[in-house]
Parts: sequence; C-alpha cells; structure tokens
Amino acid sequence: MSPSPPPSHRRRFVAGLAAALALGGGSAAFLVQSAEAERREELASRQAIAVLGALVQAVEEAGGTGDPSRDALRAWQAGQPPGVEARLVVLEGIRLEGSTAPGDAGERAAPRRLAREEKALFDQAQRLRGAVEGNREGGAPKPEVEIERLADGGRVAAAPLRVGGEVVGSVRLTLPTPPAAVAGPRLPGIGWILAAFAAFLGAAALLGERRWMLALGAAVSLVAGLWLQARAALSGLAPGAGADVTLALHAEATRALLASGGIALALLAFVGLGGLARAWRTLVENRQAYAYIAPAVLGTLVLVFFPFFYGVALGFTDSNIYNTSSPLSELWVGLRNYAAILGDFSMVRRGADGALVWNYLNFYWTFLFTVVWTITNVTFGVSFGLLLALVLDTKGLAFRPVYRVLLILPWAMPNYITALIWKGMFHRQFGVVNQVLQIFGLQPLSWFDQPFTSFLTALATNGWLSFPFMMVVSLGALQSIPADLYEAARVDGASRWQQLRAITLPSLRPALVPAVILSVVWTFNMFNIIYLVTAGAPNGATEILITQAYKFAFERYRYGYAAAYSVVIFGILLVYGWFQNRVTKATEGI
Amino acid sequence: MKARVRIAAVAVVLVALPALAQDLVVWHAYRGGEKAAFEKVVATFNALPSTKAKVTTLAVPYDAFADKISAAVPRGKGPDLFIYAQDRMGGWIEAGNTVEPIDFYVDDALKGRFLPATVEALTYRGSLYGLPLDYKVITLLYNRKLVKTPPATTAELVKLGKSLTDKGAGRFGLAWAYNDFYYVASILNGFGGAVFGPGTKPTLDAPANVKGMELLVRWNKEGFMPAEPSVALITALFNEGKAAMVFTGPWFLGEVAREIDYGLAPLPAIVEAGGKPMRPWMTVEGVFIAAPSKQKEAAFEFVKYVTDGDAARVMALEGRQSPAFRAIYDDPAVAGDPVLAAFRKQVEVAIPMPNVPEMTMVWSPATTALNKINAGSTSPKEALSVAQKAVARDVASLRKR
Repeated sequence: MSPSPPPSHRRRFVAGLAAALALGGGSAAFLVQSAEAERREELASRQAIAVLGALVQAVEEAGGTGDPSRDALRAWQAGQPPGVEARLVVLEGIRLEGSTAPGDAGERAAPRRLAREEKALFDQAQRLRGAVEGNREGGAPKPEVEIERLADGGRVAAAPLRVGGEVVGSVRLTLPTPPAAVAGPRLPGIGWILAAFAAFLGAAALLGERRWMLALGAAVSLVAGLWLQARAALSGLAPGAGADVTLALHAEATRALLASGGIALALLAFVGLGGLARAWRTLVENRQAYAYIAPAVLGTLVLVFFPFFYGVALGFTDSNIYNTSSPLSELWVGLRNYAAILGDFSMVRRGADGALVWNYLNFYWTFLFTVVWTITNVTFGVSFGLLLALVLDTKGLAFRPVYRVLLILPWAMPNYITALIWKGMFHRQFGVVNQVLQIFGLQPLSWFDQPFTSFLTALATNGWLSFPFMMVVSLGALQSIPADLYEAARVDGASRWQQLRAITLPSLRPALVPAVILSVVWTFNMFNIIYLVTAGAPNGATEILITQAYKFAFERYRYGYAAAYSVVIFGILLVYGWFQNRVTKATEGI
Repeated sequence: MKARVRIAAVAVVLVALPALAQDLVVWHAYRGGEKAAFEKVVATFNALPSTKAKVTTLAVPYDAFADKISAAVPRGKGPDLFIYAQDRMGGWIEAGNTVEPIDFYVDDALKGRFLPATVEALTYRGSLYGLPLDYKVITLLYNRKLVKTPPATTAELVKLGKSLTDKGAGRFGLAWAYNDFYYVASILNGFGGAVFGPGTKPTLDAPANVKGMELLVRWNKEGFMPAEPSVALITALFNEGKAAMVFTGPWFLGEVAREIDYGLAPLPAIVEAGGKPMRPWMTVEGVFIAAPSKQKEAAFEFVKYVTDGDAARVMALEGRQSPAFRAIYDDPAVAGDPVLAAFRKQVEVAIPMPNVPEMTMVWSPATTALNKINAGSTSPKEALSVAQKAVARDVASLRKR
C-alpha cells in the first residue's frame, strides 16, 4: 500500500461548508415557501367558511327547504362573483333541493333526486349530520364544516343545514380559483448564502491548514449565512389579512429553521473534521464485510428498529380506536402518557368501611407484583432445579437417563397446553387440587378469587415450566467439575456440606449466573402463563406489566398509552440489563 | 415446442384475464361448511348473465380479521367488500374511510326484506352501513333424555335445574357462561336494562341491570350451575350428559357429541321481571362495502344478491346460518329445520348488541363486576357502580383533546 497523502483540512472544510449551506439554505427556502403556501390555504379556507356561513344563514332563514330556500339561494347567488356555485342537499328522499350550478339546468334542474354519481354529496350530508349529533352527545369531536381543495385551487365547503334544530341536509359551496398571489422571489436570501461561502473561501486562503481556525471560520460563516438568509426569507411572509395565522406560522417556521440550522452545523462538523472521510475509508476497506452483513442490517432495520421506534413515537401520542387513521403528528401529546402512568401514586386507599382498597390498575401495584412474581419464580426454579440436578448427579443412580427425560418433559411440552391444564387443575369443583384438599378433609378453595391464591396458581404453573431448564444447566455444570477436587476435599476431611459450599456452588456460578439473568428476563415478560392461567383474576390483581400493556392496547384500545407503557417496561429491563452486566463483569473478574 | 408455446400463451391469458376484468374481492372468515356454501353462492353470482364484475373470495382467519380490516382498508389496500359482525362497525366508522354508507342505494322495499332488528344492528347514527347476512343469538339447548319439556319461565328453570343437580356426582341442571357478560346481558336486557342510553351514555348501574344481577346472585345460591364455567367445562358436561340445559348459541352445536339427543327452545321468561322474556344480545353479520373501493356500484349488486332469497337458502341449508332474510323462514325446507326455526323464534326478542365503539370499553369493567358478583364478594349495586365509573372514565379518556 502506498502511503496516502496527509488530508487537506482546508478542502474538507470548504466541502463541508458547501454541503451544510446547501442543506440549510435549501431547507430554509423550502420551509418558508411551504409556510407561505399554508398561509394562503388557511386564508382561502377561512374566506370559504365565511361565505358559506352567510349562505347557510340565508337558506335557514328562508325555511331550509322548498321554494323559499331556492329563492334565497338565487337571491344570494346574484350577489356573488361568477364561478361561485351552491347546492342544497336534503337527506329525506335523497334530494338535490336547490342548485345554482350551471350543470343543474333543464333535465337536471333542482329539485330532483340525486343521481347515482352524486352519492358523495349525500354521504357528505349524512356525515355532517353524524358529526353534529356526535358532538352534541359529547362523542369524539368532529368538524362540522368540511373543506376540500380542488385540483385547480378552488374550494368546496359544506356545512349542515338545520331546520328546527335538526340536521336535514347540507349546503355545499364551490368557490373558484382565487387570483394567483404575487409570487415572491423563488429563493429569497440566496445572496447571503453565496456571500457567506465566498467569505469563507477568502478566509481559508489566508488561514492555510490551521484546523481549528478553519473550523471556527466555517462555523461562523455557516451560522451568519443561514441567519441572514432566514431573516430575509421570513420577512417575505407578508403580513396582511389574517395576522394571527401569519404569526403562528412565523413561530412554527422559526422553530423549523433552528432545527435545520442545527442539522447543517452537525453536517459541517462531520465533513470538516474528517468524520465522513473516515466513514468512507472503513466502508471501502471492509467492503466485503459490509456487503455480507448488509442483508442482516436491512432486515434488522425493517423488522426490529422500525417497529421499535414507531412504538416509541406512538407512546408520545394519543392514538386510540377513534383516530387510527390520523397521522401521529396530529395526535402528539408529549409526555402526557408517561405522566399518567408514572405520576399516578393512588395505589391504595381506605374504603368506606376502613378496609384497604387496592387499585390494581395502578402502575406501581403491577410493577410490584411483577417484581415479586419474578423473584419468587426464579428462586423457586433455581432451587428446585439445582436440587434435582444434585440428586441426578448421584453416582451409581439406577435409571438415570429415564429420570432425566421425565424431568425434562414439562419443558418440552408447549407452554400453552401446560398452562391450560394447570388452570383446569385449580378449578373449584372439578380441579384435582381441590379434590386432593377434600381427601384430607380441607375446604375446597376458590383459587382465583383472592390475589394471593391466584398468584400461587401462576407460580405453580411457571415453576413446573421453569425448573427443567435450571436442572439441565446445573447438571451440565455439575458433571464438568473434576472429581479430584472432591477427592482432595475428602482427604482433607471436609464434610459433604463443606464440599457443597466450597466446591460445588462456586463451580456452578459461571453456568448459573447467565441462566439466572436469562430467566429473570423471561419471567418478567412471561405473558402466556399470566394471560392463560389467572387472566389477571381477581380484578386485575395478578397482571404483570406486559399483560397489563396488552390489555390497555387491545381491551381499552388506548394504543398510545399502551405504547408508553411498553417503553416503560423496556426502560426497566434496560436498567436491569445494565446493572446485571456490571455484576457479571465483577464475577468474571474473580 | 409449438405446443409448449401455445400452453404458455393460454396460461398468460388465463392469468391476465381476471386482472383485466377487475374482479371484486370479498374477505370473509368462514370455514368448513359455511365457507363451501358461501363459495357456492359466489359461483352462482359469477355465472349470472347480469353480473358485470366477477367476485373472488379470500378467507381470512377470524382472529386477525378485524385488525387486518382496520389496517388495510383505510390505506386502500384492502378488499372491495368484507363480511363481519356489527360489533366493530362503529369503530371503523369513527376511524373513517373504512365502511361505505349505503343509504343512498337502499330503499324501504330493500330494507323490508330483512328482520327489522338485523337492519337496526347495522345502523350507526341514523345511517345504514351494510346489509345483514345472518344473525347469531343464544337460546336454550337441552338434553332430551333429561328434560322432557323445556322450562318456559325462570321459576320452572330453577325448579327443574335443582331437581337435576347432584353436585357430588358432578351433575348440574344448567351450565352456561354466567361469568361472561355477553351471556348475562340476556337477563339484564330482560329486566329492561341496557349498557348505553340514550346515545352512548354508559348506564351499567341502571336499576334494571342491578335487578338482573340480583337474579343471577339468587341463581348462584340455588346451586344448580357449575362453578367457574369455561367453554371447555360446559362442553364436557353437556356431552357427558352431566348438564341438562345450556344457554348457548349456534357455535356450540358443532361441539355437541353425536350420541346426545338435544332440543332447542327459547330462553325462559323472567318471573321476577313480571314475565318478560330473557332478551339475548344478537350479533349480525353484515356485508360491507370498503370505502376506498373503486367499484362500489358493482359491489352493491353483489351485496344485494348475497343477502337475497336464493343465497339465503343456500347459506341456511348448506352453511347452517340463520339468514337475516325474512321470507326464507316461509320456505318449507328452512321452516322444517328445528335448529333454524328455534333461532328464528328466539331472535324475535333479541336485541342487537351495541355497535358503538364505546362498547369495547365495557367488556373489561363489566367482566370484573360480574366476577365480583359471582364470587359474592360485592353486592350487585356496588359492583355495577364501580364498573360504571370505570367505563365512564375510559370513554372520557378516549374522547379528551
């Protein structure tokens, strides 16, 4: 390999500044232009609503339907510029009650039944009626005026037509294309961008290869260029009618501009300080490796990272069954879901009779239960598994392979089936557990009526499912302990108990610690057992976090809230994983 | 070589033809005999000379059906038509761009073809969104060997039920899912109770509902019903001849063992409510047109056909459905069918299950209340008032903004 020439800082910073200015300036121009377009839209819609309001009032004052309404429509039309059309749709009998559209003359003159291709008009009137009635009842808020932009820039606006307080149809207004607004310069403030670039070129010629001076100069040029350009462009957002709209847009555009400026600065740093060059170099050097992992990376991006980040984003919204078709940005509620989950401490209160009443829906109750559930299960699984492994490890045990296979069986069965069988065994009248209790003269129990007994059923089921894993892991580790260690201990006069404590348990640790870590994560999220065995009975007391999140999503249909709940679960496991990592590192160090 | 080219050409044409003709796609969740009957109806429709657009069917698993509709249809990726029960309809309408309103196409004569309550089930805020295909409703199923005449009133039911109960031998007079609010609603509705009203205001704690629950508490104390009744338990008891009577719907009949001689009768009248009948909830399967469909007119032709008499006859006799088409029950083959006749009789007093999306908020609190009442740990009044508050809170938290 030939030695590569030392990199030129000057060239990098010039390239970086060019890219950053192009990005920042381009996005600023785009943002300001779209803000201007949005403002025009908003004003046109407002104008349409105002015109429509006057029309609806005129028609309703004339009685809403029949000849008087048509007269009112004609009288109103006389005062309108050409191209404005209005239609009255009446739901009863699917009628076009009145129309000033040129197409609705002769054969098609109103009043008449709506034609097949005019179904949309009827549906719209129905939709408006539904919206008015829903809002009156306090349902999910719906707009009572519909505005639609036509391809040629015109507007169609529709509002409900009321007679005696009830919606009987709709008034539909078509406005022609508004006169084209005076087009401003296409790229306002582009001069500032060019000037900033030229200034840096001049400065770079003087500074030579002094890296940090170049960085400073480039950053100053970028910030100054973008700031001056943005000021010039924003002043183009001409005030005029609807000053409040302009003001709101101004604030919005300013925020967006700040964000794009920040990204541009990051780009400058990345290119100028050599990040891009380094990234490119490793990509080229290890192109074979990158080519090999590309499919996996792509798959992970699509199947893991996209859903994950979508879920995180969903947690910041108010997405629920009423608004699944709205974009997430319209449903943004910030941290409200998290505040509702983590900020609710009403876990227990005093009931009217002085007894404690637990709020099982509370996050902290469920969290506490999940922790207890996890600890008891793992303790149970490890101790039982270890005990069985020690028994099986006995020298000269007859039929050892048979026992081993039998003890692994619970693990081999699908856990859905096991869970349902266990649930059946705890049935009050037909369950085997209660029948055994009765044999011993005890009262049968309603296992799922008390939180503690309900918890026991799930614990028994999960214990049954989890001990074989621990047993297999322990058994493997036990058999790899050299026999001479025990021999030496015996020679030294150590008792069986001392051998266990001094030799067996420390030798098991490297195998058991990872198994316990895994087992904790599995148990923490052991959806099947809780969902199938206790189903949260009684009253959600035995839900763990993951089943609770499921119920929020698919029984209460609060998708945003459930997503936030899942992110909290993820956070808990992340903290646990980090903590566990440190612990294992410490054990490795011994 | 030539032959091969010709075969390839034919294959290309065959593959391309349906695509050119723009088939209507209909999604359904039918299986077994119901699926075969439905496909037969579709084939008959496709063979009609008046058919402009042919229909192809796609069976989608029931579990995933509603979520697939919610996800695919609003984005224009779904079918032209789909068949589903009314309970998710309100949610789809509120979400928008999923179900097409069809009042525009429907006149009174067309509506008059159906049992009125089935049309009501598919009406949301005064607009009709689909035509009813069939209904499902719970009724009284009894073992003829144990029950000679089915009870006409709740008093007879309790008396007969107790006489047939032998807890030690695991025998019970009546096995039914009284831990499932869907089933228990038949008592509450009988007392004149309701979950919503007027509009979408939750009314779980209405006095009529409390009275209904109190009757359930009394039945619990009489001890003629097995504890913790799961579907598996009820099926096992009935098939072993250990449950004389069951309140259940048509879905149960496929599970009944061959050797059991069963009969069907309407649910008993409630003496405690002045002799008013128990009024079960009915679910109605509708044929819906997807809002983004490009061929709504053609789709509606199919909707009309599949809910009409010829199709209803096939769906009833071969698919074992209870059609919503009213006149089919005058057909001797259908009228003579004891199962179809029994459900037809029961549906007279059935109430459409609410189709408003708020209904989805009811299940969980109502089930909790029901469990507390069955366990005897809380009085019906208190349990229902807690549930009422929970539903009201859940509904409000969905609506705020």
